[in-house]
Amino acid sequence: MASALQTPNLLIIIDDSSFDLRINSGIASHTKLFKQIVCFSSAVAALDFLAENINNPEIFPHVIFLDIQMPEMDGFEFLERYDTFPNEFKAKSHVIMISSTDDLRDIVRAESDRNVVKLLKKPLQIEALKTLVAKIYKL
Amino acid sequence: MTVIKVLYVDDEENNLSSFKANFRRLYEIYTATSGAGALDILSQTEVHVVISDQRMPEMTGVELFKKVKKLYPEPIRILLTGYTDIDALAGAINEGDIYRYITKPWNEIELNNGIQNAYDVFKTRRELKDKVEELEKTNDELNRFIYSISHELRAPLASALGVINLAKLDNVYHESEKGHEYWGLIEDCCARLDYNITSTLQYYKNSRYSTIKEEVDFQKLVNELIVVHKLANNVEDKIKFDVNIDQSEKFFGDVFRIEIIIGNLISNAIKYQNPDEQNKLIQIDVKVNRLDAIITIIDNGLGILNDHLNKIFNQFFRIHNQKGTGLGLFIVREALAKLDGKISVESVVNSGTKFTLRIPNEL
Repeated sequence: MASALQTPNLLIIIDDSSFDLRINSGIASHTKLFKQIVCFSSAVAALDFLAENINNPEIFPHVIFLDIQMPEMDGFEFLERYDTFPNEFKAKSHVIMISSTDDLRDIVRAESDRNVVKLLKKPLQIEALKTLVAKIYKL
Repeated sequence: MTVIKVLYVDDEENNLSSFKANFRRLYEIYTATSGAGALDILSQTEVHVVISDQRMPEMTGVELFKKVKKLYPEPIRILLTGYTDIDALAGAINEGDIYRYITKPWNEIELNNGIQNAYDVFKTRRELKDKVEELEKTNDELNRFIYSISHELRAPLASALGVINLAKLDNVYHESEKGHEYWGLIEDCCARLDYNITSTLQYYKNSRYSTIKEEVDFQKLVNELIVVHKLANNVEDKIKFDVNIDQSEKFFGDVFRIEIIIGNLISNAIKYQNPDEQNKLIQIDVKVNRLDAIITIIDNGLGILNDHLNKIFNQFFRIHNQKGTGLGLFIVREALAKLDGKISVESVVNSGTKFTLRIPNEL
């Protein structure tokens, strides 16, 4: 797992908008920072996937893009479940919230969540993403 | 038309029969011979008017009405009583237990008028109650609508801007001169629409919500607003913020409006920076005393022409053509007016702008 810390391998994107999955995976692949990108259109499906592969080092989500407003399970509900994952897991997996929200309460809540590295505003800017990932992985 | 339901309570059966004989064609009549019997009927039937004799064994009319008022506040209560009882009733009447009293023996016309008036009161109160409920519901729906619309409108817009970003990365944007121009135009339109949505919502909220008073922590508020607006304008750390809060006194005011006011000014200070300036700086000072909060927001940005200074708070006035709708400072002025606040501005072109606000402390 030591090598996994050096470069992020797998990026998981969770967003109910198919547009935003297409756009953000496009922008993420332009950064050339991720070897693999997997998209989920629901937080529940993503959570199932993560739980199923929790002991599989081949499928480890180094970075997770998480939308806030989603039907069924929103980003904050996802974070509550995610918080129950083992600490070793969370230490190496980095959640970046990506939202178009303008609501001060949403923004403050996202920024203060201990499992959230940062909130990036939609539309996602490639430079902001590059800088943030570089900072996390000390590239 | 609704049939008026009347409950008549009297321990003398004869009175009940003559009441029925007089009014059965006009009203739906319920009768009881005791207070307990009356409460029993009220528990099962929604009546509009309750008429009770005062002198009854076990429970008097006033005692019954005190209970009815507590348990079933809606029906209007009329008491029948002889002249001798009136002194004892004054308290009950003043406390609102009784809508009207009619002296015994009653005559048909007087009692009928009493019932009609009582029903009018019942109807008016009921209509008012229904209207209030309806309004509360509408208000609730509107608030939810406002919250969701800001997401529903902004999300697809952010997606459109995302597509433009992607077009740039994939070199589609710059492929041809025309293409470049068109993509640029789309981008500007989207940015303007985004700003319009924000300002319209803010303006709407400001005109709608009544002012509320709560404690304001300026340190926290200003820092949060800086985070939000840096994020919204994608400036990251290219602009230095120098924040100085002197709040030893407590401050009470309308956080929501103060947020709109300071937020708009911070957003402008970020937007109208001079692109050639190497050390972009926004300085925010807040000084709180018992009477006011004095807030100054100073930037070293593009500045405003003297001729324009007195127009910047007007609706739809714009200086920098490329951005904005001319709503931001208009909203600031409107929100400040609700708080009895004052604003002044000094500016030098290409050197910067200073806004000074004074917001009363509702301590």
